Amino acid sequence: MSKGLGVWALALLLGVLIPGTSRGHALGPFPWLVTALTLGLCLALAATTLFLVERLGPVLAARPPLALWEAIPDLLWGALALVCWPAAWGPPGFPALALAFLLAALPGELRWLAQTLPRESPFPAAWGPRAIRISRRLALRSLLPRWLLARLPLWITATLILERMLGVRGPSSDWMMRLAFRDHWGVACWILGFALLWVLLQREGA
Amino acid sequence: MRLMVFLMATCLSLAAQMVQESFAVDPGPLDFIRGDGQEQIILQMLTGDALTGVSASGQPVARLALDWKKRPGGWCFTLRPGVRFADGTPLTPEDVVWTFREIQNCPRASLSKRTYLAEVRITAEGDGVRLETPKPLSRLLLELARLPVARRQHPGVGSGPFALETQGGTWTLRARPHFLRPRIAGFHFRLIPDGQAILQNLRKGWLTLGTVPPRPGLNPPPGYREIHQPTHAQLLLFSRLGSAPLKHFEVWRREAIPDNFFGAQARPSGGLWPESLGFPPCAIQGAPGRGLPSPRWEVCYAAGDELAGRLLLALRERARQDGTDLVPVPVEPGLLLERLVRGGFGLACAMNLFEPHPWSVLDYMEPGGALNFCRWQHPRYRELAGQLKEPGSPPWAQLQALWASQPGALPLLDFTSVIWVDRRLEVIPSALGLYLTTPGPSAWIWTP
Repeated sequence: MSKGLGVWALALLLGVLIPGTSRGHALGPFPWLVTALTLGLCLALAATTLFLVERLGPVLAARPPLALWEAIPDLLWGALALVCWPAAWGPPGFPALALAFLLAALPGELRWLAQTLPRESPFPAAWGPRAIRISRRLALRSLLPRWLLARLPLWITATLILERMLGVRGPSSDWMMRLAFRDHWGVACWILGFALLWVLLQREGA
Repeated sequence: MRLMVFLMATCLSLAAQMVQESFAVDPGPLDFIRGDGQEQIILQMLTGDALTGVSASGQPVARLALDWKKRPGGWCFTLRPGVRFADGTPLTPEDVVWTFREIQNCPRASLSKRTYLAEVRITAEGDGVRLETPKPLSRLLLELARLPVARRQHPGVGSGPFALETQGGTWTLRARPHFLRPRIAGFHFRLIPDGQAILQNLRKGWLTLGTVPPRPGLNPPPGYREIHQPTHAQLLLFSRLGSAPLKHFEVWRREAIPDNFFGAQARPSGGLWPESLGFPPCAIQGAPGRGLPSPRWEVCYAAGDELAGRLLLALRERARQDGTDLVPVPVEPGLLLERLVRGGFGLACAMNLFEPHPWSVLDYMEPGGALNFCRWQHPRYRELAGQLKEPGSPPWAQLQALWASQPGALPLLDFTSVIWVDRRLEVIPSALGLYLTTPGPSAWIWTP
C-alpha cells in the first residue's frame, strides 16, 4: 500500500511538473453534464452485466459467441454507430456514444465477472436452481465494489475514442486535452481522482 | 401564387438555417485579452470587431474605425458611431484604449497580440483613438485587424456580428443587429477532433462545411462543392546545424515528392519565404557540397502529424540515394515546442501559419522572434529591417538575399485548404481562411 501511494504521489508530482510547452489557450470548463451522463452509462453497464451474469452463470465465460463479440475493437463500434446512424436524425452525439460504449464494453465485463464466479458443479448445482441463484448473488455482492472500482477508470478512458469520433466533449477527452494543453492542475486533479479510486480498491480488497 | 408561397417559404427556412461547423480542439472561454489559438481566434472574429479588417484580397478595410488619418508617428482612427456590445452597452474609445492597454500589461495576455502592440502608444482622442508606433504604419493597420475590442472590464464581451452561447460541448453563434448586416442565422460548432469523423459527418450531411483530410482521391458527396483555398501555412524545417543540411533538403523537397502525393492539400514549397505573401522564389546561396557533413541526420517532428511523417519518409528515401540516413523522430507536440524554444534540436519540422502581411517573415530573424528558434542574427539585419516601409519595396529583396545567404529554416510544404461546402451556402474563400476576413461570414448567404 505504501509503495503504491508513493507511485501515485510521484505521478501527482509529474502531473504538476509535466515538461513541455503549449502555445495554446485555456481549455473550457469541465464537462460536468456529459460526465454525469457517462457515469450513469457506466452504472447501466454494471446493472446489465450483473443481470446477465446472475442469469447465465460462470459457463458464460466459455461461450464462443462471447469471444467473437469481445474481439471487435471499440473503434469499429464507434465507426459503425457513425455510419448506421440515420442521417435524418442529425448528429449522433451522446446516444450513439452510449450505444457504441455498451456494445464495446459489455462482452469484456461479462467475461470478467463470469470467470470470477465460483464453480457450480457439483455443488451448489446438486442442490437445485434456487441454491445456484443464492450462491451467484452472494458471490456477485462480494465482487461488486472491487469490480466497479477496478473497472471505472478503464471505462472512463475507454470512451476516449468514441468521444473523438462522435463529437462529444466528455471526461475522457477532457483528461487527454488537459494533458496536451499542459493544464498542470487539471491533470493533477485527474490523477488525484484515479489515486482515490485505487485507495478505495485497496481498502475493499483488505 | 402557390409557387410564390413555396419560394418564400424556402427562402425563409434557409434564412433561419444555422451553419453546422466543427472545431478540432476546445477553443476555451471567449477572452479577447488572454484567448489564443486558431479556434479561439475564429470565435473572437465572429463575436468581436477590430478597428480595421482585412479584405479577402488582403487589403486593410474599415471595421470599427470608419476612417483613419496619418499623424506624425502613427494613425488617428475615427470610431463608427452607434456600435454596441452584445450586452447592449455602447462602444466608446475608452473600451479600445482599455483593451489595448490590458493586452500590453496583462502577463497572461495572448503572446501574438502583445507582439502586435509592442511599443505602441494608445490614447483616446475625441470620437476616436490615436496609435503611435515606431513600426511601419501599413504593418500596424494589418495587425490591428487581429485585435478585436472588448468591453471595459469585461474581456469576454465583444461587439461583433454574432453573439455566443456555449452549452456543454457546443458553441452556438446567433446573428445580431450589426453594421456588417449578417445574412445567415448563425453557426453551430461541435467538437470533432478526428479527421475521419469530420469526413463521415460531411458525408452524412451533418456539417455544412468542413476541411477534408490530406488524402488523394476524395470526392465531395452530392450536395457539396469543393473549395481550394491557398493559405499562408507552411511546414518548416529548422536547422541548428547551419545552412548546409538545408541546402540538401532544398534539392530533396523538389525531387522526393511525387505529384499528388498529398492530394490538393499540400505541394513542395518553392522558395524560402511564402510566395502567398508576395515573395518571389529564392534559392539558398551556394550549391550543396559533394560530401555530406554527417551520414545520419535526425529530424524531430510532432508525433501524430501524419502529413509530416509521410513527407519525412519520402525525403528519407531520396536522402538514402545521397548516402544520408535521415531518421524521423516523433516528439510529443508540447515537448517539441519546448525543444524548439529552448534550441534543443538539430533539425526539427513544425507547421507555421504566417500572419497575412510580409512583415510576418521577420519572425525568422528578429531576436526573440516567434520563429527564430535557431538564434539567427546578422550585423546588417537592423539596418535593412528599418527600411521596410512598404510591401514590395527594394529593401525586401535585399533582406531576402541576406536570409538566403545563411538561412535558419527552409519551408518544405505549402498548404492549400480543401473544404467541402454545402452547395446552397455562398462563402468567401481567401488565403486567410473563411472566418478572418471582413466582411467574412457576415456576407455569407444561403441560396435556394
